[in-house]
Amino acid sequence: MRVLLRPAQYLALAAYILFLGFPLLWLISASVKSSGELNSLTVSLLPQQWHWDNYSDALDRQGLVHSAGNSLVVALVSTALVIVIALPASYVLARLKGKIRAAGVGWILVSQVFPVVLVILPLFLILRTIGLADSLAGLTLVHTTYTLPFALWMLQGYVSAIPVDLEEAGAMDGAGRWTVLRRIVFPLLMPGIVATAMFSFVSSWNEFFFALVLLQSPENYTLPITLNMFIGGEGKVSLGPLAAGAVLAAIPSIVFFTILRRRLTSGLMAGAVKG
Amino acid sequence: MKSRRLVAAALAAAASLLFTACSSGGDSADGPVTLKFQSLSDQPAAIAATNKIVDDWNKAHPDIKVEVVQAGWDGVYDKLITQFNAGSAPDIIHYEAAGVVPFAKDGYLADLTPYLSEQKKTDIPKGVLDSVTVDNQVIAYPTELQSYVVFANRALLQKAGVTIPTGDTMTWDQLREIARATTRDGAYGLGWGLSSPTAAMVALAPGFGGKYFDGTGTDAKISVGQGEMALPQLVDAMAHQDNSILPVTLTQSGSNALAPFYAGQTAMTIQGSFQAANIAKDAPAGFDWVVLPPLAGPAGPAQAANPQTLSVNKDSAHVEQAAQFIEFFTNTENLAALNEADALIPATTSAREALTTKLGAQNGWKEILSSGQYLTSAPYLFVDKYAQWKDTVATPAYQKFLAKQIDANGLSKELTDGWNSINR
Repeated sequence: MRVLLRPAQYLALAAYILFLGFPLLWLISASVKSSGELNSLTVSLLPQQWHWDNYSDALDRQGLVHSAGNSLVVALVSTALVIVIALPASYVLARLKGKIRAAGVGWILVSQVFPVVLVILPLFLILRTIGLADSLAGLTLVHTTYTLPFALWMLQGYVSAIPVDLEEAGAMDGAGRWTVLRRIVFPLLMPGIVATAMFSFVSSWNEFFFALVLLQSPENYTLPITLNMFIGGEGKVSLGPLAAGAVLAAIPSIVFFTILRRRLTSGLMAGAVKG
Repeated sequence: MKSRRLVAAALAAAASLLFTACSSGGDSADGPVTLKFQSLSDQPAAIAATNKIVDDWNKAHPDIKVEVVQAGWDGVYDKLITQFNAGSAPDIIHYEAAGVVPFAKDGYLADLTPYLSEQKKTDIPKGVLDSVTVDNQVIAYPTELQSYVVFANRALLQKAGVTIPTGDTMTWDQLREIARATTRDGAYGLGWGLSSPTAAMVALAPGFGGKYFDGTGTDAKISVGQGEMALPQLVDAMAHQDNSILPVTLTQSGSNALAPFYAGQTAMTIQGSFQAANIAKDAPAGFDWVVLPPLAGPAGPAQAANPQTLSVNKDSAHVEQAAQFIEFFTNTENLAALNEADALIPATTSAREALTTKLGAQNGWKEILSSGQYLTSAPYLFVDKYAQWKDTVATPAYQKFLAKQIDANGLSKELTDGWNSINR
């Protein structure tokens, strides 16, 4: 029985990976099929004929590369800003006791309950007043603001998981507040920072509605807006080029995840505190 | 090391962003008038046709420069409503009648009546012009139209011994007969993508004398009688008594219902006329298809028109110049070129005739362009909360009816009670 357990585990893992990866495989398959094949009843993962023109169509038609550049800038900058702001704020929220903390946490939760359509018009007016409407800087600001509450919530959980005893031990050994943070807290917090950065990056990379409404000039369009233009009126959809565009759009996210994946370690604190 | 590089890249990008934000400039007060034209053209050929028209205009009018701002259809209503409220809407707005009428009623669109030339006014069929007339003001120029037409697999019709109709119109009864005759050898007579059935039901109701709504705005009253129920009941009879409609297509989108048509599982399919271009492109080699004459009900071949439109922002500083551009944009030559690129029906008679002369011999175009003459104004365009009724009441009710979960009385009751509840 035990002999069969390990292969069964691998089989289950392979099935799970296939389950998770199938939509991406299907997307890649659609991206290399002709319009005729996509609109036929023949269902096959492998195309009858490889139709690479979808990629050139996607790249030529709607300024996809330029939009991807815009999305990358906005996603990277808003991710950096979110981490820079959320890191100290989450530490304070996690370590502070009393009513101020409760009020802070409550405020974060309240900020999440307003629907986007409710805030979009005032937001647009504010951005226009400060000259940031229809600009990547304005969109970055909005993405940062919109992602920050959840990032704070996430990071606060990670900070709370670090025993205060570790900081006190560092202080007893003569380390100052900054040294404790830099040498003890931040390294232990790295998986949380990475997870939060991933969340912020993907939120910004995929964000559609704010970009749709706030960006007016095609040269400022981000990737979701450009991909949206493959869907036309009257139900017309350029499915092949759209799939090709979506495959290309997924690449930066995959690269970003690959770079940060190794930092997503856990168990650093196992056995750090006795008893 | 990698983290430091990442942070450095982010900071550099931030600096670049700030520089971009600070250096963006506005229009020069001394230069020519510049008009922003938000276009929703989505097909490469239509984008090219639009750009050519704009280029021609800019060459001929150096003092009135038009800039195309390309946007997408999805979410455009939200975008426009924010733009109008924030006072940043473009000068010239491309949309559709059903979308712009609410903006006109809210006072965001300029009255184009004074700028509409007599020649253009007589060139636009009355029913189509009515669809863009709000409170006796023309609030948009119609540009492109679509109708519902029947595409047929010639081989399957001939195999079933059916004579392919060739008259000016064909009746729904003829369609039913052909569907019955071609339901054989494992194939169904008809495939009709009715996953979102309300648009088709409302658009085709005028052929049966159906209007759905009387009155306008919040005063509109719903009326679901014989004219409105005729088409759903016909579809129900074809699907469940004749068994001549491929059942799965009733749950599919129009585009998805094309696959069984290509595969010979359905002999005919009812589609938006623009699908002719997709069928010509995607159908298997040797697939012999025809477009049947426009469908006529007891009240004739009328269908509700929801034309694509060009409107002018009322707050534009250059309403007159914008209207001049639209007059140019909608001249016969330009509309014919645009509609050819989009595989749609021109909104003016002269452009439709020009396109018939040019493309009439090509498969399907003659019948499709002919159907354009029967398009007429639709009461639903002028009804507040139509969109809400369509999404939350009508579509689920039709779906339940077509799935035999409610009967005709139940459908009529749900459509009526749902409207009365929404419009309280």
